[in-house]
Formats: sequence, C-alpha cells, structure tokens
Amino acid sequence: MMLQNRTIARPPLSEVEATARWLALLMLAIGLHIFEASLPSLGPWFKLGLANLVTLLALALMGPRAALSLAIGRVVVGSFFIGTLFTPTFVMSMAGALSAAAVMIAAWRWIPGVGLVGVSLLGAVAHMLAQFISVEYLFIRQPALFYALPPLLLLSCISGWINGALAGYIAGRLGHENNSEKN
Amino acid sequence: MRVSLNSQRTVCFMCAAATMCAMPSLTYSLPPRQSMRQALKGTWADRLLLLALLTCIAAAWYLIQAAVAAGPVVADIYHGDTLLASYPLPQQGKAPIHFHVEGELGLTEVVIDAHGARIVSSPCATQRCVLSGAHQHAGDMIACVPNRVLVALRGSGNRAFDAVVE
Repeated sequence: MMLQNRTIARPPLSEVEATARWLALLMLAIGLHIFEASLPSLGPWFKLGLANLVTLLALALMGPRAALSLAIGRVVVGSFFIGTLFTPTFVMSMAGALSAAAVMIAAWRWIPGVGLVGVSLLGAVAHMLAQFISVEYLFIRQPALFYALPPLLLLSCISGWINGALAGYIAGRLGHENNSEKN
Repeated sequence: MRVSLNSQRTVCFMCAAATMCAMPSLTYSLPPRQSMRQALKGTWADRLLLLALLTCIAAAWYLIQAAVAAGPVVADIYHGDTLLASYPLPQQGKAPIHFHVEGELGLTEVVIDAHGARIVSSPCATQRCVLSGAHQHAGDMIACVPNRVLVALRGSGNRAFDAVVE
C-alpha cells in the first residue's frame, strides 16, 4: 500500500531509449565476437573485424564514451562465452579492442574531413599493431614476431576499409530511421 | 567451455546492471544517408590516410624482407625469450627434424622438412598454430601464444647467396 502512494522518479524517455539502444549494440557486438571466434580461421592473427564494426557504429551514433565502454563490455562478456577469459587470447582481444577504440575516437574527433571509412581503417591497423605489441611484450618477447606484421597490416587495411563503408551505410540508415520515427 | 544457463544469466544481468549504472547520458548525431558504393569511396581524408598507411606498410615490408630474407632459409625455434634451436630447412629427400618444445601448457612438436616448418601438435585450446600449416619463406612465422612457442623463418644472412634463384 505504501508503495502505491510513492512516486518513483523516472529517467527521461530519451535516456532510457539511448541506453536500450546501447545495450542492443552491445548484444550485437557480443554475438559477432562469438561468431568471429567460431569461424574457420582465416589465418592465425586475422579476423574480419565485424565486432569492431559495432564499436564504430556506437562511436558514430552515440559518441566516444559509448564506444569505449562497448568495446570493453563485448570483449569481457564475449570471452565468457568463448571460454578464453583471462587467457592470452583475451589479453590480445582486449588490447586490440581498447586501442582500436581509442584510436578511432581520436581520429573521429581530431582528423578534419575524415569519414567512417578512414576511422575504421585506422582502428583496424591499431587493432593489429596492439595485438602484436602486447604479445611481443607479454608472451613471446621476440622481435622476430614482427616479420609477419606487414602482410597482416595490409589485410587489416582492406577489412578496415570495407567495415568502415558498411558502418557508414548502416549508420546512415539507422540515423534516418530514428529521425523519421520521431517526426 | 560449458557455462550453466544460470551463471550465464547472472553474468548478463550483472553486466547489464553495471552498464545501466555507469552509462552517461547519450546523444545522437546523424551521419548522412548514403549508398554502399558511395560509402566505399570514402572522403579525401580517408583516401589520403589509406595512401599514407600503404606507403608505410610497403616500406616496412621491404625493410623487413631486406633484413631477413638473404640466404637460405633457417628456422629459429623460441620459447618465450629464449632461442632453443636453429635449423636450416633440410633438402628434398633428407630426414625431417622433429623438435619438442616444453611450453607453458605442455609439449609442442615442431617438424622441419623439405616442405618447410610446421607445428604438428600443440596442447593449446585454439590449435591455430597447427592449423596454419607449413611455412617455408623467410619472414614467415608460426606462433602459439598460449604455449609461448614461436617458430620464425629467416634467411641465414649470407650475402653471397643473394643472387641465387630458387
């Protein structure tokens, strides 16, 4: 009876909507993270970067903080499901995802005239570099590891460019769908 | 790894709750609507970035190849920061070399034969090192990060062999 008389302060609808949208993106990112891990290996170090695409979407639609928290959230929860939590694979994923998010945020904010494609390109390259540097620093400690870096960076450029274009396409559609719903 | 449904639910709930508490208020910005073809073209800044990156990568590739690819190929086997063995790739018809590395998780078996160097068995969960197959070119490497094993191929560095074409 007491509860019925009390008024509960509700957050504004737009805030709830934004949080729900962020959570939906997080779920999508986790799903893609697991999907990528279960794909047949396209080379020992190389992934398509689909989960990173969602980080990019969050950055474009919601801003830097959302993108960074999404990157951390998807690596932690994704690793729970794959079973790699706190293993070297997890450290590689986390280093890659964090540095890609940081570089993408910096590029989005400070490089004049850059589009999502350029941001994604830098993110993909940063992801690959961070993986190598973290492995070299923590696990294998051999500069010989870097022999394999240039061809993989080239692949990163290709996948980064395509992912950026996809993100641009999706972000454009999502944004305008929201707009028409509101009008 | 098998996780019970209950603990999965708990984890999801905890993550969602932590997120709800930590989330700042979010704002939207609207990127322009564009076709896939337009999106693939990118802006001028994007293309300049690509050009700069490709130039750096090509230069790095050239420098690394110039540094490591001279001479006949040698396979270096490392565990962590220690070099355990260096073998030149055996010629056709010679007996293959089997090398066992005691790593963090157990024994990794490296085979070096006329086809190149490959990891044939590894105690790691992902088995990516085994799946990556045989490598024979200088500059290639096979890494098993969980077991901290690295097999790196390099030229023996003898400049007298620069002109030899395989």
